[in-house]
Amino acid sequence: MIANLLDGIVLGLQFGLLAGGLTLVYGLGGVLNLAYGQMAVLSAMAVVLSMEAGLAPIPAVAVGLVAGGLLGLLLDLTILRPVYRLQGEARVLLSLLLTLGMAFMVDGFLTWRYPTKALTLRIGGGPVEILGVRMVRGGVVASVITILVLSGLLIFFRKTTLGRAIRSVIEDEQGARLVGIDPQRMLRLILVLTGVLAALVAVTRSLVTPVAVTAGFELTVSALIVTVVGGLGSVGGAIFAGILLGIISTFAASSIGTVLSLIILLLAAAVTILIRPSGLLGVKE
Amino acid sequence: MLEVRGLTAGYQGGDVIRDIGFHVDEGEAVMIIGSNGAGKTSLFRAVLGLLQPSSGDVVFQDEGIGGLAAQRIARLGISFVPAERHLFPRMTVQDNLALGAYPNRPDPTTMKVVLDLFPRLAERRRQHAGTMSGGEQQMLAVGRALMSEPRLLVLDEPTTGLAPKLAAEAYQALRALKENGLTILVAEQQVPLAMALSDRGYVLENGVISKEGTSADLAKDPDVRRSYLGIA
Repeated sequence: MIANLLDGIVLGLQFGLLAGGLTLVYGLGGVLNLAYGQMAVLSAMAVVLSMEAGLAPIPAVAVGLVAGGLLGLLLDLTILRPVYRLQGEARVLLSLLLTLGMAFMVDGFLTWRYPTKALTLRIGGGPVEILGVRMVRGGVVASVITILVLSGLLIFFRKTTLGRAIRSVIEDEQGARLVGIDPQRMLRLILVLTGVLAALVAVTRSLVTPVAVTAGFELTVSALIVTVVGGLGSVGGAIFAGILLGIISTFAASSIGTVLSLIILLLAAAVTILIRPSGLLGVKE
Repeated sequence: MLEVRGLTAGYQGGDVIRDIGFHVDEGEAVMIIGSNGAGKTSLFRAVLGLLQPSSGDVVFQDEGIGGLAAQRIARLGISFVPAERHLFPRMTVQDNLALGAYPNRPDPTTMKVVLDLFPRLAERRRQHAGTMSGGEQQMLAVGRALMSEPRLLVLDEPTTGLAPKLAAEAYQALRALKENGLTILVAEQQVPLAMALSDRGYVLENGVISKEGTSADLAKDPDVRRSYLGIA
């Protein structure tokens, strides 16, 4: 019982980090990035290739994080250009189609070029005991990193001028422009930041379970579900929904099996949309 | 300080304002009056970079700003308070004000001046902007606009949605700002309030300027009296 709960929190924190990135880009720029999971996988592959080239794990992880940020920048400078010329629903739709196409291309390339590669980072030492439950050390380390990063993000958004400026664009884009904030620059910044977050998701996840080249879509779908439940544009909502769904998913997996746990997650998203269309912590339109 | 020449702008389907010319000198308060739909909001949007003008010049302190993005114009020292206010609803009063100073950190002296002008905001510093009353939101919108220490304050119908008493209070605050040397440009439907504040005015009708003059002269003009002051 407690073991499931703790495992659920470990998974949930990952979900929160994953969804946080997706929800920020959507909330800020009306861009739905369906290549988000592939950004994580590409970053993971950057880590794998760096390690194969002889780099130690920590510098290799740094390479992966930089790669994630660059992927975000690349997205902003290339395929999102035509998206930026549109507004409203057309904008969401075009971003969705273009990034989905991108995701298929990346998936195809990776499975053709590196069919068997996966990122696995191991941390030495035995299990850690928490509340009388023996937890895999990798999971605990991953959770600690995730908690630190999420706390850092929340502080950044609440306490710094730049963080507030980013939130203001989510709140009211025209208001932001009137105080001298350039929404387009904020969006580029957030695409880079969420690219780094995607890389971080891949890295922390690989401490628990191998991140294979094919993991992209599963990551994107999980992020989408968590985002829908948490509310678009709300990082707090993403974290809250992430932990909630992590726990639900873990209990479902242990009681009725892994295959059904994804269905349970989708069900949770469907129920949320029916009851609270704006998500648990989202704003009502 | 601000000079607009031959400004034409509109949306798909036609020009809303045509060949507009007006100017605002340093230290003045200037009003643009007109009925609903005359084009006051479109005019301000075109001057402030929220609507791309199709022709014409906008010059602010000897610098051409026509067609610049709104965020760039904001940083040159013009603060705009739109009728819809465009506050950040899920952020505190404090954060809304702080963002007014972007990209700088809020200056404590300016913050104090704003909170002295609007004591209600001081009482509600921790409250979310979206939960405040219309009058308080209007104060916050003006307060946020002042945080960047603008040279020119532009307000589009600052009395929108305000009860008469609150509307009068809003204009009292504007008068205090003017007495402190701030240059003000205001568009207004509630003409008597704007007239009492401003030195000069322009009448906007169907997208063109039909009359201009000192506020005292406009107050005597029979057409203005009939159409905007409700005096036959």
